Amino acid sequence: MKSRNVLRGLMGATVLAASFGSAPAFSADITITMAAPDWPPTRFMKEHFDATYTSPAGHNTTLDMDFIPWPSFYERVAASLTSGEQKYQMIVTDSQWLGAFVEGGYYLNLTDRINADPELTAIMQDLHPALVSAYSTYPHRTRAQLEEAGVVPAPGVNYYGFPQFPDTYVTYYRQDIFCHEGEMAAFQEKYGTNLPCTYEDWQDTDWEKFAQIGEFLQRKKGDMLAGEVLDDDFYGIAYQAGKGYDFSSMQINAFIWQQGGDIWDESKAPDAQAEGVVNSDIAVKAFDQYLSMIQYMPPVARTGQMDIFVEQDLYMQGKVGAMIDWVGLGEPVLDPTASKVHDKSAFGPAPGSRQADGSIDRTGNIGGQPFVLTTWNSDEVVDEALNVVKWWLKSDTQLEAVKNGGQSGLKSVMAMPEYNDLRPWNRAHVEMIDWQKDVWHIPEFFEMLTQQQEEFDKAITGQIGAKEALDAIAEFQQELLEDGDYIK
Amino acid sequence: MADAAHHRGGFGAWLLDPKRRGALLVTPAIAILFVMNIFPLMWSFGLSFFNYKASSLKVPKFKGLDNYHDVLTDEKVWERFQTTAIIVSASVVLQLIIGFLLALMFAKAFPMRRIVLMLVLTPMMLSFVSVGVFFKLFYEPTFGIVSFVINLFTEERFVLLGSPEGAIAGIVIADAWMWSPFVMLLVLAGLVSVPKYLYEAAEIDRASAWRRFWTITFPYIKSLLLLAVLFRTIETFKLFDIVYIITEGGPGSTTETIAVYLYRTAFQFFKTSQSSALAYIVLFIVIVLTNLYLYAVNRRAEEID
Repeated sequence: MKSRNVLRGLMGATVLAASFGSAPAFSADITITMAAPDWPPTRFMKEHFDATYTSPAGHNTTLDMDFIPWPSFYERVAASLTSGEQKYQMIVTDSQWLGAFVEGGYYLNLTDRINADPELTAIMQDLHPALVSAYSTYPHRTRAQLEEAGVVPAPGVNYYGFPQFPDTYVTYYRQDIFCHEGEMAAFQEKYGTNLPCTYEDWQDTDWEKFAQIGEFLQRKKGDMLAGEVLDDDFYGIAYQAGKGYDFSSMQINAFIWQQGGDIWDESKAPDAQAEGVVNSDIAVKAFDQYLSMIQYMPPVARTGQMDIFVEQDLYMQGKVGAMIDWVGLGEPVLDPTASKVHDKSAFGPAPGSRQADGSIDRTGNIGGQPFVLTTWNSDEVVDEALNVVKWWLKSDTQLEAVKNGGQSGLKSVMAMPEYNDLRPWNRAHVEMIDWQKDVWHIPEFFEMLTQQQEEFDKAITGQIGAKEALDAIAEFQQELLEDGDYIK
Repeated sequence: MADAAHHRGGFGAWLLDPKRRGALLVTPAIAILFVMNIFPLMWSFGLSFFNYKASSLKVPKFKGLDNYHDVLTDEKVWERFQTTAIIVSASVVLQLIIGFLLALMFAKAFPMRRIVLMLVLTPMMLSFVSVGVFFKLFYEPTFGIVSFVINLFTEERFVLLGSPEGAIAGIVIADAWMWSPFVMLLVLAGLVSVPKYLYEAAEIDRASAWRRFWTITFPYIKSLLLLAVLFRTIETFKLFDIVYIITEGGPGSTTETIAVYLYRTAFQFFKTSQSSALAYIVLFIVIVLTNLYLYAVNRRAEEID
């Protein structure tokens, strides 16, 4: 009996000694609950965290991801924040939400912490400036404004977020069709130019050629396509044309920017105007060009319901020749259990507008999401959450993310020799990221976006023309922004 | 006495005294009702007089009746009311016609009547979201079944949701598909309550089918029809799920009902006070309709008596 007690005492002392020996004095159990959209890039983050993360502070840290389906993501996050339940320590957020939730007092300003932490400063310096501008700054600062400052972090700028998944849109195309000799020859004969087959061909593809592709590849059931008889109608091209959320604005903004037009520029408030800019002749012409290609898309585009998921689905069903969609939706396309075109797809940069000097402007509206921290976290939780940020934005973590369907926003990672070969869209992503700009970040963004989407939708469904739609948007925005003192 | 009881049986006995038992039993229900319904109602009513935004931490300012004025003078609100009225009218009429015809069919015996009846009743037991998704896929012009069938005859894809009229028709058909069985149930209840001897007497008098319907059947079912109209009007007036899933209010805003607009104002634009004012205006309309409904129920009860 006595010897058993001695043994117990010895074991207890050993365990105690071992614990004191291996953990710091302030080790704590920390749970970071993160609101995250339910899709592969966030699923991977959770899996990889569980497998590899060790807290540098010695804490026992749990990353509790609250996976929320995309269609209800905004509503769920907004409801949680405004209800005051203080559920989340970190949130994957669309960049457009920054204003609403910073002004609401929910997102934590990280500027001082970034300035005080050389590791975080180094990360900010290594991030692509287009991402820093879109994902982190509020009030919004453009890439040009940040670069003008010459230092990162730029003085007088408030920083909030880091990239969780930096997304760009690229061209997905059917290599079996675009590289089919018969189709290539027929296209050459009809339009006097080549059907883009290689990556380099897509680098030289503008919207005019994209429209020609749309017209050329639109075939009826029973027609021949790439040497085979079609068992259903086939459509040449697809890009987003949906009424929901931002599922047409993202593409239409690209057309407008590429042709030299603009949206209301919040970085130039209070001088920037909506009237005369949003509905400028250039913008009307660009929007007209966008509308002119709807006829070559699957007919669902004419209902205003071709969002990014619908076009992806139609492409995976083998009903579309080429589509422009986010890189984040690429993995299912390569999945043999989900996609009929998993072994026939290749990727290129998205088309753009040909400039007077012959170059192509591919300016696009950035996708993807940053993650942010919330204001109610204790210092201990903030420190640990920033440790998670550092872990996520480490080169090896980023490389693993890229291999598993994620993307990196770090210039050093994108410059690695093996990077382009990790996933088939990586080369296009790197090329496209340099062209990215973002839409508005002010708290009224959802009201502006909803009204704009409604007017775009009327034009997409053929109820009104491009000018009428843009006039209505400009008038609405001018009034709203004047009421909100964004325009003096 | 109470003190004596308290001393004899302790607090439990005092509490369970028959004089208090009733109040005790309803207290939890009233407490839950107060916390879940009455308090939020009063709170949101209060909010409707301020300029509160749920997304902002700014202290709200008192605005009096300004929000009600803004809502009632907002063109968009009246457009949404008009859209709602069109959808309600078309859907309720269609439900009445289909429900009535189904009731006439099921009032008579035929082989496998019970199984067919069960199948016909299924739609109203489904969730709104399921029905919305079904019909969105049915109407999908590239691979949906409606477009597929029409394509067999026209060789063109049928784009139902591409025009305001088509989109309204799509919503009305989905709503009518779901709720016509409900109307059928009510009418069927009226039809089976008609005494058979009245029809026998009418047959002896050689009354025409129309005459039999108008003078015998209709008086028995008219109150139930009225009930069906009112009940379905109230429900369709609040229609949200099916619209949001099938069209999201599009094309443009041509199918955006007042319920969808209210949701956007409250939870997307975070105009909390303004949306509260609009919600109270909608509530007022629903209360008026509900009173009409109760009046119809009472009349039916008097008729039965």
